[in-house]
Amino acid sequence: MSGSSTSLKTYALTRLALVVPMVLILLTLVFLLMRVAPGNPIAAALGGHVAPSVIKQITHQLGYDKPLYVQYGNYLWGILHGNLGKTITDRRPVSSIIVENGGATLELTVAAGLVAIVVGVVVGLLAGRFRDSWIDVGGRLFGIVAYAMPVFFLGFLGQLLFGVWLGWLPTSGQASPITQAFLPIHTHILIIDAIWAHNWGALWDVIKHLILPATTLGIVIGGVFIRLVRVNVIRSLKDDYVEAARARGIGERSVVYRHAFRNALVPVVTIVGLQMALLLGGAILTEETFNWPGIGSTLVTYLENRDYAGVQGIVVVFALAVVVASLVIDFVNAFVDPRIRY
Amino acid sequence: MKRRLRFVLAAAGVAVAALWAVTGATARTTSSSSILIDGSTETVTNIDPAGNYDYGTATVDYMIFNRLLASGPGTNLAPHPELATKCSSVGGLATWACDLRKGVEFSNGDPFTSTDVKFSFDRTIKIKDPSGISSLISNLKSVTTSGPYRVVFHLGHPQSTWPNVLTTTSGSMIVDHKVYPADKILPSTSPQVGTGPYILSKYTPGQQAVFTPNPHYWGPKPANGGVIINYYKESSTMKLALEKGEIDMAFDAFAPNDLTSLQKEKSVTVYVGAGAGIRYLVMDVGAQAKKLGVPTDNLAVRQAIAYLMPRQDIATRVYHGQVKPLYSMVAAGLPGHIDAFKTVYGAAPNPAKAKAVLQQAGVSTPIALTIWYTPSHYGPASADEFAEIQRALDASGLFKITLKSAEWSQYVNTLGTTKGVFQLGWFPDYVDPEDYINPFYPKGQFLQNGYDNPKMDALAIKEEGAKTQEDRLAIVEQEQMLAAKDVPIVPYWQNSMVAVAHTDVKGIRSTLDPTYIMRFWLISK
Amino acid sequence: MAVATATPRGIRRRLVGPGLRRLWSPVAETQGLARVMFVTGATITLFFLVLAFFARWIAPYGFTQYQAHGHRFAQLAHPSAHHLMGTTVESDDVLSRVVWGAQTELKVVFLALVLSLLAGVPLGLVSGYFSGWLDRILVLVMDALFAFPPLLLAIVIAFLLGSTVSSGVVTAAIAITATYVPQYFRVVRNHVISVREETYVEAARALGARPFTIISRYVFFNVVQNVPVIATLNAADAILTLAGLGFLGYGVQPTQAAEWGYDVQRALSDATNGIWWTGLFPGLAIVLLVAGLTLLGEGLNETLNPVLRRRRFGRIDFGPIAPGEEERT
Repeated sequence: MSGSSTSLKTYALTRLALVVPMVLILLTLVFLLMRVAPGNPIAAALGGHVAPSVIKQITHQLGYDKPLYVQYGNYLWGILHGNLGKTITDRRPVSSIIVENGGATLELTVAAGLVAIVVGVVVGLLAGRFRDSWIDVGGRLFGIVAYAMPVFFLGFLGQLLFGVWLGWLPTSGQASPITQAFLPIHTHILIIDAIWAHNWGALWDVIKHLILPATTLGIVIGGVFIRLVRVNVIRSLKDDYVEAARARGIGERSVVYRHAFRNALVPVVTIVGLQMALLLGGAILTEETFNWPGIGSTLVTYLENRDYAGVQGIVVVFALAVVVASLVIDFVNAFVDPRIRY
Repeated sequence: MKRRLRFVLAAAGVAVAALWAVTGATARTTSSSSILIDGSTETVTNIDPAGNYDYGTATVDYMIFNRLLASGPGTNLAPHPELATKCSSVGGLATWACDLRKGVEFSNGDPFTSTDVKFSFDRTIKIKDPSGISSLISNLKSVTTSGPYRVVFHLGHPQSTWPNVLTTTSGSMIVDHKVYPADKILPSTSPQVGTGPYILSKYTPGQQAVFTPNPHYWGPKPANGGVIINYYKESSTMKLALEKGEIDMAFDAFAPNDLTSLQKEKSVTVYVGAGAGIRYLVMDVGAQAKKLGVPTDNLAVRQAIAYLMPRQDIATRVYHGQVKPLYSMVAAGLPGHIDAFKTVYGAAPNPAKAKAVLQQAGVSTPIALTIWYTPSHYGPASADEFAEIQRALDASGLFKITLKSAEWSQYVNTLGTTKGVFQLGWFPDYVDPEDYINPFYPKGQFLQNGYDNPKMDALAIKEEGAKTQEDRLAIVEQEQMLAAKDVPIVPYWQNSMVAVAHTDVKGIRSTLDPTYIMRFWLISK
Repeated sequence: MAVATATPRGIRRRLVGPGLRRLWSPVAETQGLARVMFVTGATITLFFLVLAFFARWIAPYGFTQYQAHGHRFAQLAHPSAHHLMGTTVESDDVLSRVVWGAQTELKVVFLALVLSLLAGVPLGLVSGYFSGWLDRILVLVMDALFAFPPLLLAIVIAFLLGSTVSSGVVTAAIAITATYVPQYFRVVRNHVISVREETYVEAARALGARPFTIISRYVFFNVVQNVPVIATLNAADAILTLAGLGFLGYGVQPTQAAEWGYDVQRALSDATNGIWWTGLFPGLAIVLLVAGLTLLGEGLNETLNPVLRRRRFGRIDFGPIAPGEEERT
């Protein structure tokens, strides 16, 4: 890599072009891994009820005994036509899983992301500004302990405290059963659906269910943000223009808030993007802990049942989400920061 | 900026507090309406009856479809009329004719006739769904109709228990021939049409199924204004939801510790009824055992294990009395059940006899053996259960057990062909001793453990062709004794049908019976 | 740095000494808060290392031991004199499981780190130094792996290996390795690319040194200074990933070894029944060990990262001012 600077357009095109081989590699990887492992989805579904000859016959019927490259070719062909296939165990089209459960995961990750940003930015700013004071020490310690907490442990404590002992918040699900039964669902992001239907009781119910899971995941991820924001604040406080502003006689508070902070927050976009993978991974554990009907817990179920189609579809979507997010982040960064070259 | 921030925060706090007060804290949200909310940890696959063979989906199907004949509730276990008013054999046990109920309508107004019955059976066989449901009616050669209210079943070989098969969910769950495709499954998210007491008005896969009463239903009105089944992945989450009043009742299934703790709660009642599910240990024998190199080929080894099985310990320590020790593959409470294993091996573990039988056969101890179980499919207590079995066998000094586990999808794939000694559970298709023997002992059973005894095969044929119930049950007893003597399988517990509900829910006791069907239409609050 | 005039063996000796000293100097130069963090982190980590190494002598019972002196332990017993942290639903002692769990966690993490380093560092060195199509392909593959949420990748691999590899420890280690190789690869490669342009490397190339010599002698030590910080922070992450795997039921099986994540998962249902000790102690152990490793890494980072670094300065004494001289600043 010679490091010559190229125009934004070239950079954008190159990055876009790289998305396709990346996704292909991921697809292939997952496909191979799932096929090569022992275990058979047909047998899992039939569950100790029927003779092996029947299992064999049905495996043949569904085409799972064809040679690997034929299955792979069929799968790619299907994807090109927008057909991600159907799951084997409960015959759900993968695309509808992504829409239905993906909406729930989106709701959770966005809310958690917001909490993480608020926690991370606020504590990080304060810690960087008052470096080495007790605010800094406290903030950094909080960040470290927050991230050291496994999200399921924090969830467990939260459920215990707020759900069982105090009884303030519900401990599972996206909404109470009655709300879920009677709220007309369009986007599967229940907050939006509740607002759409002007059902304020339902909205409050949904928010109550969202508080614990989003805060749990948000605090854990926020712990990481604190460290990154703090480093950025320290760096920008050392910059020449800050020194210059001080020399010009501008008050310390104005210097800090108007100049240093604003510039320190520019990389926040990058930070958020980098943590996408972390957020999605944490979502899996959070969903399992809080019985949240998202893609993460659905994936775990399909993994256990060896549901090739289901796992493939979901894993690819996960990876695609991260790829697209990092692409967007990189574009924004390249646009904003002229120092970045490809 | 700081001042502004402080103001915004304060305003937000006030708003939150106000909203809270207005909408109330988490009081029991369900008490007002007559809709019953139930919790379950089961999973639902295809709601189309031709496409599922699992308990969770069957529960949904029972709400919206009817069968030709029904079993239960209560002690009324013999097949009795539902959509068919009478079913009897015609000239030998290989042909059966059923008269159908007149004036029944589907939930969309379509009339119910013999066409629908023939259609339902035909499509089940044609679709041959991977779930294996069509194997239940493998003995059916063809169905013919004789007028709009009579169907005739032509079987492959005589079967006296054919009416029992008609109480199962295979084929006998009648669907509207105008709505369902003849050669493929109707997706679960498409509207389902049946003759049952409810309509499935909303279905969110993996989360919730909402039922409203069917206005076209031919039978008595349901005791409640509708049912919502909420699906949970974990028993502990469901328990919390029940305690907080988010659900009125929960059925299937609680982990033993959760149930014990619920029994101490005053706001809920734990109902325990007769169950029909069993748990057993399978051992490879004969050529299969030799191929794998497991010592269970030797009868003495199997007998020793039968002598040492710690049934009571498992029932008390692991399941806190929620399961009962089982001494035969046929569930207790069924006609024809005898405690065969108690007769042959005694009720409590007997290390002395185990040692004696091994010494007599000249087997050197301790015997190294690997026992397999699956950690989640049969509930999280499986690990504890097998820890108990391992401890009992090791403590006798006669065995050295290594435990191995595999997730269900891998586990069930190969059963006896790769595992010498392994855990399995069974849940009957219909409540009759035949369904507890035929899947396991005659030739061609799915266990693949190599058991092959011509005497047992002969008994099975005799049993299927027996003319009277008395004859049949006598043969069933013989089969159980033979099973205990040959001991390729050691049964060890039988479950109970357990439901937990808030104190204002009524009617649960009436539906707790060995058929294990939760008849929500009998429950009110 | 001495110029390469002596025999190869002499060079190696002379390079190793200063090289190691260079590795240790950041530690010696820590000061203030960074030093506190470093020391605290090191103490905590050392504590768990001791637990892990001497588990056999520290733990009162075995990790699946359910009885002693002829009588069984009670099930789900409160913490008491006999069982300082209570017992589990299988009548196992919680304290023992926590201690043995330390051994499991550190075993897996150590194995995973070694494997990641063995795989990632050489690949990064080679890829960064030689560039070309090999580099492009490797970068693509590594980026693709990096795009995977790490827990997801670990789950899939642990799940698949679980049936063929009998040791749960090895399975979990390999699963975690797969998530870290791209990181080491990336960091090493980027560093190599920048070091590659340094004048002394160019000089070596001009002198006719072979690529392998250049890499091992000049580039390696320079690059490897980054690794300890990342390694400790990765170790912290790896423990979380391992606990996550255990929580979901993959990786180490309960019959093979005690694992904290698995214990917390079993304890989830205990919590709703008012039993807090089966989950609290393993959970706290995870938090403590991960926090310790992070503090260690952060402390190191404070000193190694030039943005944050503040060296310890000794006092400079200029000596007394002679009469007539002005103030020296």
